Parts: sequence; structure tokens; C-alpha cells
Amino acid sequence: MSRKDEPFFVGYLPLPAGLKGFTLFISLAVFVLFFGAGLLIGATQDAPEDTGFRFDFGRQTVTGVVELTPYPILRVTEGNDRIAPGKTMMLTAAGKSGVDMRAMGLEGQLAQISGIVLERGTIDMMQLRGGRNGISPVEGNAPAMEIEPLGRWKLAGEICDGKCLYGAMRPGRGLAHKACANLCITGDVPPVFVSTQPVEGQEFMLITGPEATRMPQEAYDFVGQFVTLEGDIERRGDLLVLQIDPATIALVDE
Amino acid sequence: MSVKYIPVQWNRSKWVYDALMLIAVTLFLYVFLFVSPEVLSHEAPINPQVHNARAFGACAFLMLTVILCIGPLARIDRRFLPLLYNRRHFGVMTAFVAITHAGYILNWYFAFSNSDKYEALLFANTSYGQLAGFPFEAFGIFALICLLILAATSHDFWMKFLTPPVWKRIHASIYLAYVAVVAHVSLGILQDQQNHVFTVIFIGGALTVAGLHAYAAWQEDRRGDELGADQDGWIDICDASEIEEGLAKIKILPNGERVAVFRHEGKLNAISNACAHQNGPLGEGRIIDCLVTCPWHGFQYDVRNGRSPAPFTEKIPTYNLRIENGHVQVHRDANPPGTPVEPVEVPA
Amino acid sequence: MNTAEFLLMVVKWWGAIGALVALVFLTVGMDRIDEDADGAYVFRPLLIPGILLIWPLVLWRWYCLAFETDHWAHRYKPRRHNHRIFAYVMPIAIVLVIAAGLSVRQQWPAHIAPEQLSAPEASQ
Repeated sequence: MSRKDEPFFVGYLPLPAGLKGFTLFISLAVFVLFFGAGLLIGATQDAPEDTGFRFDFGRQTVTGVVELTPYPILRVTEGNDRIAPGKTMMLTAAGKSGVDMRAMGLEGQLAQISGIVLERGTIDMMQLRGGRNGISPVEGNAPAMEIEPLGRWKLAGEICDGKCLYGAMRPGRGLAHKACANLCITGDVPPVFVSTQPVEGQEFMLITGPEATRMPQEAYDFVGQFVTLEGDIERRGDLLVLQIDPATIALVDE
Repeated sequence: MSVKYIPVQWNRSKWVYDALMLIAVTLFLYVFLFVSPEVLSHEAPINPQVHNARAFGACAFLMLTVILCIGPLARIDRRFLPLLYNRRHFGVMTAFVAITHAGYILNWYFAFSNSDKYEALLFANTSYGQLAGFPFEAFGIFALICLLILAATSHDFWMKFLTPPVWKRIHASIYLAYVAVVAHVSLGILQDQQNHVFTVIFIGGALTVAGLHAYAAWQEDRRGDELGADQDGWIDICDASEIEEGLAKIKILPNGERVAVFRHEGKLNAISNACAHQNGPLGEGRIIDCLVTCPWHGFQYDVRNGRSPAPFTEKIPTYNLRIENGHVQVHRDANPPGTPVEPVEVPA
Repeated sequence: MNTAEFLLMVVKWWGAIGALVALVFLTVGMDRIDEDADGAYVFRPLLIPGILLIWPLVLWRWYCLAFETDHWAHRYKPRRHNHRIFAYVMPIAIVLVIAAGLSVRQQWPAHIAPEQLSAPEASQ
């Protein structure tokens, strides 16, 4: 066909007859592409794990002994119908911040906490209300709390920020969520290790640095990735605390 | 075309183009946002902010992929040229979709902390020394800045102001932006996604763009315009009889520029192959109503003097032309834009 | 000041200078260098985002047009040649980037069991 016989499109003139069928076909193809891609991508999103805030439980208030790991936790001594005594709660504030400042003076003392719980299988974390409404000292002598060392372990799994892992965000882990997790952990939200298999019945454990320090800087590069690491584990109530040894963190090699 | 700038020079084609584009984008977003949650029926649904971010992000990727396919497709098959005509509006729309994606991410993953969210975006992840866990947001920011610059400089004013070559160079950053988007996705959601439907669509789309560009470039290397032979400053184009009425032959001059020799009413004229608007290939256009018409956006020029008809004011360079032993030859030095040249009769 | 704050300050200053350039260019500069802008005002706000983003380029072009330093031939040099480079390099880059992304992708190491390295007494 000579070039002269080809239909020639000029934007401000009517579409040449020879191009009508083709243009219509392409338009329909574009519609099908956008519709199909939207449906396929949209309908194959991974299901987030069944976690989240339990606003439906309402505000929970319990009393216990504050311990600083250094991330503050509460060993419940006086529970309610959802949170039994003996339970250990990790604590966080609203947003991407911890309650370190508020808990600081309360180490080893009895305190009452109040807030909304986050649930991931079990209730392990509470987002406290603001100021003294969230955590306040309680009169009385704090009972001695047992800390049971479990030895040094080598584990495989993922370093996450505890709050998103427990459902503040869905999805709340993985590399696409890494920056957010880092932001939470720098904001003193307790970091949590997800182990591939349970240790002494627990899949999740609170992370600290060596010698009861905060999560070490080196660990931030590994947040959201699948790693092996070594560390000392201790049991505080029903919560395991993992003191990671930053020198041992390594990516899992397939 | 020039003569007093207005915000958008609408015409029927553009209305139809934009309407089709809007329908396609709306279809995608509607299905993703409102139909797919029903299909998924997750026990614990994805946060709406994340779901929205994914919808707009995936939509922007798809739009960019389609946009980047238009160029090579139009070079491979000229029937795709109508898609090129209003590609700019498609691009502007993509920038809006991309910025919506960025907004959802910023107001979710980077909000709620004690830091400013824009600062948080920059400091939250600084693992620049590794591939997995690399702050892939940086690629997204780069691509978004490119898209915004492209969208913001899409008005015809910019083309005239910056000159088409500079404008085209700036707009070539879309290729960098696309590679950045591919990196943004590859080091981001691709690392986490367990269901691989998205992976397949994403890789398929990116490889289509890659393949079409490589194929079109390879084809142009094989069958593109040829370099004309230089004879004492006159460039040999072709036999006079080879040029069809109303069409042109294109040759590359020794200095790399292209000349288009048109035949109109049995006479020949040579003009620059580069349209004054976007440097579109005039020689691939044709003469309509006595005027050379650019195949990209329909800008028109009188082939005898390289000037757009009044009231338009565009001008392109012309070339002196002669016929030696039946062979068309063009002088290698262009005349200043708008210089009239006497048409040369094709020998019988 | 940390790097993030510094970068944001640069962005703010970039935008502020751009706003100034936009103000002067759109009110007085433009009419002198482009006859098509004469009496055309409605489209001008559309140019503001572009000026905010690329104001150094705007200043350079403004200078070129105001002092007529442009050679006419520069307008007719399409970037077709360097397009070829883009057309070949981009596909290679896309393939490399996707391959890199897939190569570092991890699988949840469910098979690795926790291992006790030493008992509590030994570690104390």
C-alpha cells in the first residue's frame, strides 16, 4: 500500500474512516486492560493477619508492676475479665510513640494503666490514654516479680515494630512497611521479634539491646527482613524478652 | 498553535481522548477500591489508607506503562498516532494519580509520629547501603518530581519558551522516572507480596515497555532515515520521480539534521523535517489543503516558505534545492526560518 | 540540623525563590519575550507550578530571549539521536532492576527452628 493511501490522522479534523475501526478497537482494549488489571491486582491482595485494635472491648484498666526492659512493660497483678493477673503487657502511646517518659519514674512500682488493647492471637499490648489517665502510680507495696532466664538462643525471623505487628496497621510488617517500622521504633514503640517457630510457647518476643539497652542502631538496617540472630532470652510473666546481640544479626540465606 | 495562549486548546479529539482516558482510570480505581474488597472479603481487611495507596499506585504504574508504549507503537505502526495526539493530558492525569498515591503513603506510614511527616519520609529509613530494605521511597520521590515537572511544563508556552529540543530533553526524564518507578516497586511491594498476580502484571508491563522501545529503536536503525551523500555542499536525496505527490522524502544531512523534500502540484520544495512545535517529523506528514501537516499535532506550514498560515506565526527553516540529472539535491545549509524558496519543477 | 531538615529547607527556599521568579516573570517579563502572551492572562496561573519547579531554567531562557542570544537553528535540532540511547539503555536498566529486586527477595524461613545455644546457668 502506498503511504498516500494510509489514513492520516489530524487532531482537529474528523477521524479518517480508515482509522475508525482500529481506534475503536484500541479504546476497548484500553478499557479491558484497565478494568482487568484493576480487578486482578485488587482482588489478589494478600490477606493481612487477623490483628487489630479492640475498640469493641472498650477501655481496659488494670494494675501491675512497671518494669523497664528498657521498653516499659506492666506485670499485671490486678486484672479484669479480659486481662488476667500474671499477664505482661507491652505499653505504647497513641501514634508512633512510646510511654518511656511517663513510665520512667515508676520502675518497680505499682501502677494503674488504662487504654485500648491490641490483639494478635492474645492480648499483649496496650495503647495508653494520654498523660496520667494512661498510667499513674498506685498506693501499695509492689510484689517482687520473677524474671526467669532461658539462656542464649539462635533464632530466625523478623524484627518488627510491636504496635503495627499487633495490628495498628494492616499490613504491619515486611519491607514495604520498613520505614514506618523504623519510625515507630525510633519513637520508642517496643520492637518485637517474630520467630519462625515458637520458643517456649511464644512466637513473639520483645526486643532489647544487650545489657537492657534500646534496640541497637545496627539492627535498624535489618528491620522487615528475614534474619537469624542470637540473644539471651528471659521470661517475664507470659512475655519473652530477647536481648539481641547485634553482631550476630545476618540475613537468612536461601 | 500560537496566537494568544489559552489554558487548553480543546477540540473534539481531545474531548474524546480525555473522556476515554478518564473512563479507563475510573474503571481501574472503581474496581480496585470498591469491587475487590468484596472479592477479597478478608477477615481483617487491609487498612483503607493502604488499600487506597495501592490502588492509586498501581493505577499510576499502569498509566505510565501505557503512555510509554504509545511512542514506540506509533513508530512501529502509524495507526497508533491518534494515541500520541493528546498524550500530554494522559501524563498530567498520571501525575495527579501518582501524587494521590504519595499522599496516602505520607499520611499513613509517615504520619502519627512526633516528627514532621516530610522529615520522617527522609530520615525513617536510611539503609542506603543495601538492596533489600533500601529506602525505595527515594525512587518514588524522584519519579514523582519528574512527573510533576513534566505535568507542570506541558503547556505549549513552555515548548516555545524553552525551545522544542530543550523541552524534549526535559521530557525525556520520563524514561528515568519509569526506571525509578520500576525500582520503587521492585524493592518495595514486590519484596512482600505473596500472591504473584501483581508480580506477573508488573513485570509484564515493564518488559512490554522495554521490549517496544528496543524494538522500535532497532527497527529505526535498520529502516530509518538515511544519510544523504554530500557533493560539494549539495546533498543527494533521491531520484525526482521517487517522491509521491503530497508526500516527502527524508534524508539526514552531514550535520545530523534532517531535511524533508515535498512534492506539491508537481513541484519540489525542501524544508526542515523538524516541526516548530515539538520537532515532530514533518516529512512523515503530508500536504493537506496546500499545507504540509505534521503527523503529531497537525501544525501546518506552506512548503514554499516554511511559514504557518495566518494568523499563526510558526516558521521553520527551508532549504535550497536543485535537480541534477534527474536527481534531487538539497543544499546542506538551511535558510533562516520562513525564507521563501522558488519551487523546482519535476522534469517530465 | 539533620540531613532531612536541611533537605526540606532547601526545598522551601527553592520554592520561595521560584515564587518570586514566577511573580516577576508572569507580570512583567513574559510580555516582553513572547508576543503570543500579549493580552493572554487566563493561562498564566497554569505556569506557576512549572516556574516553581524549574526556575533556574526559566531565568536562563528568559535571559536568552531578552538578550536574543538564541541562534534560530537551535530550535530545529530534534533530540532524535539521544532518544536512541534512551531507547536502548532503558530496557536494559528495567531488566537489571527487576532482576536485582527478585534476587534479594526472601522467603519466610519457616524451616529454621529456634536453637538453644546455652542453658541459663552457663550464660549467667
